[in-house]
Amino acid sequence: MTVTYLPDQAELPDESPEAMFDLLDSRGLGDGLPVIPPTAARVEAMLQYATGDPDEVLFTLQPRSGVLTRRIAAINAVLAGCPPATFPVVLTALRALASPEMNLRGVNATTHLVAPLILVHGAVAEEAGFTGGVGCFGPGNRANATVGRAVRLTMLHVAGAKPGFGDAATHGQPAKYTFCAAENLAESPWGSFARSRGVTAPSAVTVHCGEGPHNVHDAEAAGDPQLILDKIASAMTSLGMNNAPISQGEFFIILGPEHAASMAQRAMSRDDVSSYLFDRARMPASVFRRHFEELAWARWMHTVPDDHSLPMTGEPGNIRVVVAGGPGKHSLVVPSWGMTRSVTLPVEG
Amino acid sequence: MSTAMTTVYLPDSEPRPEVSKLAPSPGSLAGLRVGVLDNGKPNAGFVLAYAAKQLAAETGAEVTLVTKKGPFGMSANAAIPMARDIFSRLLDETDIVLTGMADCGSCTAYSVSDAIELEKAGKPAVVVTTTRFEPIAVTLSASFGLADVRKLVLPHPVGGTDEPTLQEWIDEATGRVVSLLTTGA
Repeated sequence: MTVTYLPDQAELPDESPEAMFDLLDSRGLGDGLPVIPPTAARVEAMLQYATGDPDEVLFTLQPRSGVLTRRIAAINAVLAGCPPATFPVVLTALRALASPEMNLRGVNATTHLVAPLILVHGAVAEEAGFTGGVGCFGPGNRANATVGRAVRLTMLHVAGAKPGFGDAATHGQPAKYTFCAAENLAESPWGSFARSRGVTAPSAVTVHCGEGPHNVHDAEAAGDPQLILDKIASAMTSLGMNNAPISQGEFFIILGPEHAASMAQRAMSRDDVSSYLFDRARMPASVFRRHFEELAWARWMHTVPDDHSLPMTGEPGNIRVVVAGGPGKHSLVVPSWGMTRSVTLPVEG
Repeated sequence: MSTAMTTVYLPDSEPRPEVSKLAPSPGSLAGLRVGVLDNGKPNAGFVLAYAAKQLAAETGAEVTLVTKKGPFGMSANAAIPMARDIFSRLLDETDIVLTGMADCGSCTAYSVSDAIELEKAGKPAVVVTTTRFEPIAVTLSASFGLADVRKLVLPHPVGGTDEPTLQEWIDEATGRVVSLLTTGA
């Protein structure tokens, strides 16, 4: 039997954004920014892009165990200002967040500033208006901005990730408002990232729960991938990130297309980039041990002597390489919260 | 201007946690076996072991298992559930359990959910938290379907506080631990 849930409704004096903003405020809801009122007509328009019973309970979101239906997701997407064509991406990102390996209970409750990075791959990116080009992490593109925001609103309203209650983040961070971009497939020398993870559907979404992006600028290398990658490795090598004590933690390396081209021109594959960074992003074992009482490391790492170096993550495959961004000699490092694994899913409504 | 009202949907769906109850509270702790489940947070091992020792001295209980939460009792990150083999050992080798420290976000989430697993299996369990994380522990206990999770609230912070001070805090709190275990409140 299908378990269903029907959302509550409220009466507003008018359809203005101000009235809805006040209603949310009075109930302790919202992300602090203005919203679009989720009238039945607007929610229906969103649901036109989904298939299946809109009121079927798909899963609960932790830590609050709030039920998620397509309609509830659509309500939050309307609030966020999502164009309806982006709605399948919102639903797919929420499915990824509900996956057990994501550890959403920990992701939302932690004092760490972790925010879900949402990457959009394939046909839906173009069809629904996402950008993976210049300025892809914002501001400005409506699909990127509103889809990331719809996911955050669902975390607040359904998962209960309310600061001080279900979200203990000491500071929070800007990426908790929205953190979404498309992959720059047209300029990726290695094809689709989703395909490299075995997801062959025309459209896919990846979610990685980590920090905000750290920029790496390299215009001096004159295309020498070794020099570019050494800089990226240095940005990955830090005691100040959870990857250091947690070896299953992934890094998302968002290569600007110019850096990616420099690597591809020297015949480096996506895996070569990961392997090189695995080899170069290292610190002496003694340094890790001095700074962390608890090391959630792969077993082999515990047996390495103090005077040897250890990598910032347990295996090269934890270093995920994606191409996004526009012209310029910049790439990004997105460290992990740690006790979480990224998920790539085919887009489904 | 129109005076018609506009109907809108509300975005916060209802929580549907799996609801559970506390294990029956023993009338007396004399002769009972005390377990310590240490999540590895700074000073957690010290606080829990000392609290268990004081509890045993005061009540005639006996400390029978002190373990971290990873497989084979190895250390593990505090942001994941206790290992299944450790859960089995707690069921076999203890009657009551002290666990923590619930003094961050994800470690509070998993200390609370570990305690609920133990309560469901019939083992009264006290989660040790701090004043600054009590609101999170209260919210998460309700979210996980057992609002009455037994919580011992110590001053904040436990991590970084010297051992004599921690001992003072626990000495003052031992009566509270006894009450939580024997009455649930």
